[in-house]
Amino acid sequence: MTRGPDMTNHQRSLPGSGPDEVDLGRVWVGVAAAVWQRRPGLAERLASRLLRSPGLARALVTTPSLLFGWVLATMAVLLAGVAFTRGTGTPWVALLAPPVAGAGIAYAYGPGIDPAWELSQSMAVSDRMVLLVRAMAVFGFNAILGLVASAASGAVAAVTFSWLVPMTAVCGLALAAATLSRSPNVGVLAGLAGWIITVLGERVSEGQLTAAVTSTALILPYLAVAAACVVIAVYATRTPRGT
Amino acid sequence: MNVEISELTRRFGRTQAVAGVDLLAGPGVLGLLGPNGAGKTSLLRMMATVLPPSSGTLRLLDRDPHSYGPRREIRRRLGYLPQNLGYYPGFTVAEFVEYFALLKDMPPGRVPRAVAAAIEHVGLGSKARAKLRTLSGGMLRRVGIAQAIVNEPELLLLDEPTAGLDPEQRVAFRALLREFGQRATVIVSTHLVEDVAAACSEVTLMDAGKIVFHGTPDELIAQGEGHGVGDAPLERGYSAVLAAARS
Repeated sequence: MTRGPDMTNHQRSLPGSGPDEVDLGRVWVGVAAAVWQRRPGLAERLASRLLRSPGLARALVTTPSLLFGWVLATMAVLLAGVAFTRGTGTPWVALLAPPVAGAGIAYAYGPGIDPAWELSQSMAVSDRMVLLVRAMAVFGFNAILGLVASAASGAVAAVTFSWLVPMTAVCGLALAAATLSRSPNVGVLAGLAGWIITVLGERVSEGQLTAAVTSTALILPYLAVAAACVVIAVYATRTPRGT
Repeated sequence: MNVEISELTRRFGRTQAVAGVDLLAGPGVLGLLGPNGAGKTSLLRMMATVLPPSSGTLRLLDRDPHSYGPRREIRRRLGYLPQNLGYYPGFTVAEFVEYFALLKDMPPGRVPRAVAAAIEHVGLGSKARAKLRTLSGGMLRRVGIAQAIVNEPELLLLDEPTAGLDPEQRVAFRALLREFGQRATVIVSTHLVEDVAAACSEVTLMDAGKIVFHGTPDELIAQGEGHGVGDAPLERGYSAVLAAARS
């Protein structure tokens, strides 16, 4: 567990590599650093400038629910929503966007996602800050995708924006459930279940499927649920105090 | 002193994991010995600022970890290897070490060289670009050690670092401990008394949440003279101290 064996043998075989001459160990580390160095992509460089922390930027670009495969799956679901909306007239994008975003938030960060969670808790860039930045990024990204899909589906303006508030509540619920249970899958299920119950409940009471996103009476309850769930998530990720 | 602990306790419900520990540690390698459930990991986790104490005082690197600013400064200068460290299977060795170097707030310009030096230090140069999912348990443990030392920590906390290492790697690891002990405070929790005998300048023995012995390895060996239990002199000292503490 000192210098790599290959390097040490190579160093020994070189003529004139005495202690008073070139420090081949240092040279090797310099070469290895150049070879192994990862070049940050454009998104990471931008995030680094914006957040003023290369560590946070790196944590952000490794968010599972912002990776290419996840983004592709999100777009596929929303595109299906656009197609169904155009075909049936029911604003499916507005109904699909909240649980899709909730799933993304549940998979953004937390003890169930990070295998090195305990180590992450001992870092100078705090785990809570990573959670906040990742959750905000996932929320913002899903909101933009949803708005684009909603506009593309030809939904009326009221429906295009109305799902943003319930999406906040569903995201809060998914985040709280994921951090409390230390399992992202539980977060996804909680968000999805909460949304389905709300949609079906409103359908029963008002006789229409989209009442969950169009009823203004629900805005305050949605925001209250979101705030309460964020408080729960903050509580669940606190450093436990001694008893 | 890099570690100043006074009357430190930690309770989990009704269980008292650490019960009024006093400890001072300066540069050098301190071995933390004790049976399972003695409180070693809880004590290390408190020193790693992961677990706050229930009561008592803890100062690390002349700072109080209770406050945000000092805690962040401590964490910049800290190296920590938890007992159970998970790994990101899709990361390469270099990416994993780099990730934690960045989270330790190291200046970005220093990171590539520090990462390369840490990886070479643990003998994983040939695996630097290998995905973590392809490595053996012992290699993963060495990756964990590499992330702990990447920032040249002033306080290095290692919980069972030699678990999974082969004998050759353990010998090399002890040399690394001695090297770091010359300029930093290294605290190693272990069950392996031979690691302590070979690498530690001081030994602390814990039992039932309390420190029952603190001294040099030679002093621990002296405690075991005339005691029959244990194959090696240090094991006899370990057993003798524990037996005396429990009687």
